[in-house]
Amino acid sequence: MTLLSIRNLRKYYGKARAVERLDLDIAENEFFALLGASGSGKTTVLRMLAGFETPTDGQILLNGEDIAPLPPNRRPVNLMFQSYALFPHMTVAQNLAYGLEMERLPRREIAARVDEMLGIIQLSHLARRKPDQLSGGQRQRVALGRALVKRPKLLLLDEPLGALDKKLRGEMQMELKRIQAEFGITFIVVTHDQEEALVMADRIAILKDGALLQCGTPHEIYEHPSSRYAADFIGEMNFLSGTATADGLQASSGQRIVAEVPDGVDPGDEVAIAIRPERMKIGGSGLENSVTGTVVATAYLGLDLQLHLQTDLAPDPLLVRLTAEDVDTHSLTEGETLTIGWAAKDTRVFKA
Amino acid sequence: MTSQANPRLMLAILAAVFAFLYVPISVLVALSFNEGGLPTAWTGFSVKWYGALFANSDIMSAALNTLIVALASTLLATLFGTLLAIGVEIRRRKGRFLETIIFAPMIIPDIVLAIALLSFFSLLNVTMGLHTIILSHVVFNLAFVCSVVRARLKTFDWSIVEASADLGGTTVTTLIRIVIPVLLPAIVAGALLAFTLSVDEFIIAFFTAGAGRAAITLPMQIFAMIRFGVTPEINALATLIMAVSVVALSLSQRLNRGGLPGQ
Repeated sequence: MTLLSIRNLRKYYGKARAVERLDLDIAENEFFALLGASGSGKTTVLRMLAGFETPTDGQILLNGEDIAPLPPNRRPVNLMFQSYALFPHMTVAQNLAYGLEMERLPRREIAARVDEMLGIIQLSHLARRKPDQLSGGQRQRVALGRALVKRPKLLLLDEPLGALDKKLRGEMQMELKRIQAEFGITFIVVTHDQEEALVMADRIAILKDGALLQCGTPHEIYEHPSSRYAADFIGEMNFLSGTATADGLQASSGQRIVAEVPDGVDPGDEVAIAIRPERMKIGGSGLENSVTGTVVATAYLGLDLQLHLQTDLAPDPLLVRLTAEDVDTHSLTEGETLTIGWAAKDTRVFKA
Repeated sequence: MTSQANPRLMLAILAAVFAFLYVPISVLVALSFNEGGLPTAWTGFSVKWYGALFANSDIMSAALNTLIVALASTLLATLFGTLLAIGVEIRRRKGRFLETIIFAPMIIPDIVLAIALLSFFSLLNVTMGLHTIILSHVVFNLAFVCSVVRARLKTFDWSIVEASADLGGTTVTTLIRIVIPVLLPAIVAGALLAFTLSVDEFIIAFFTAGAGRAAITLPMQIFAMIRFGVTPEINALATLIMAVSVVALSLSQRLNRGGLPGQ
């Protein structure tokens, strides 16, 4: 069931383009991420959904009804602000109750729902504290609870984990997923952190310069990026420059590379060849492509090892990610000569 | 040389400056308790001049007028000054011109404002009295309240206004439940400042009070009395006014840690 349909949504500030002809369908119960660098228009989209920006053109259909003309206070949509925007003069409990008081619910029901939400965000013991007496993580949970307690059909989250330190961020990613599943509310998260989007979202939309670049599941986006920009933006990627030939590709070093050449790439076209570091394997036997080079640096990452291999395929060293097993069975010190290989199916080709 | 400044010399200069500022006031306060009533000789401690003060019906009616003017003008200036400050902050992107116009009454000399208001009221054929003093005091108090509230608004987090709207609050609800409570310390500070300014304002009140004794305020009453010399009663009255002003001003500063305009 589609909950939200964005149709031909545009936003211009004067002549400056913020969002261009965006079409998106978001399903009920979906955890959706809008991913993009700063200036990509992702926050503008979110603010249009919340009602703080008026679209220049287009529709925002929530269950088929266009909510674009409605002011923020009349939309069944809530926003968790990046800065949290907690009311500094109210206690945690009063912050949570505010949205319910606006609905003029009976006092008893408000108290019950606030209590329930305090339990869910694990702040029952701090209900009488003011926001400035809370830690960053606690404030973040109040902001989430204040939006959730309204039981919106759609919850918008603007960089929800941006202000937290790395460890807490990891925990909260799981917590957000759990809460989203438990409440059965559609979440739309805006983030610039591709890792966060990959971990949390059911589907991701990548925005660039106000336009939609690609939309798909984390797996689709990671394994089959539709453009060089998407390939570069998500995860680590090795890029080689090359030329398409009649029967394949040729790297700028002259070496032939076997890959599936996509439609629209003709012989003679300049192309970018992309390989994920974790798709490269030592030895390269049984793989279509291989290259020999010198180890110039290694970085131990705990579970795996990242290795920089200088080859004549590209001016910069290739990034290779190896498993703990490889580390045990091979000598991988700096200066060693090493051959690595990768499969044709793991090679992506983009028009340069 | 500067790094080796003599700390004793510095202290002496500081003491001299404070003496210059506060000795006259201390003398005034001391004389208000002088039994004999003559500025030339101390004849013993007494509060009898305070008694005389409260028995003087002219002074008491002037004090009542001052209280009415100060309360009414403070109330009006606080209400409109706060709304003005919020409005200006929201429209800030439209340029600084608006700010200059609003704060002009703070900078224009009182005598100019007084003449302007007198001409204005005469032109409109308004009968002058307490109400014209109140309106005139609102003119400059509005600017002071507005500037104190504006100072606080500089650090105001506008995302809480959006949060209120997002949670279902209307504009009026947001103003009453979010904006005003958060700004309250600055609003009260502005009100206390306005009250203090109104209590001892002389020139504008003098020009806009109209004829007769009906609308005489305390500063005007004192001015009338000292034409016959400074009496001990006036010392006592001045001491009381000062006490009220100091309390109001220090409360105002305490509430408004952001500082007064220009600080």
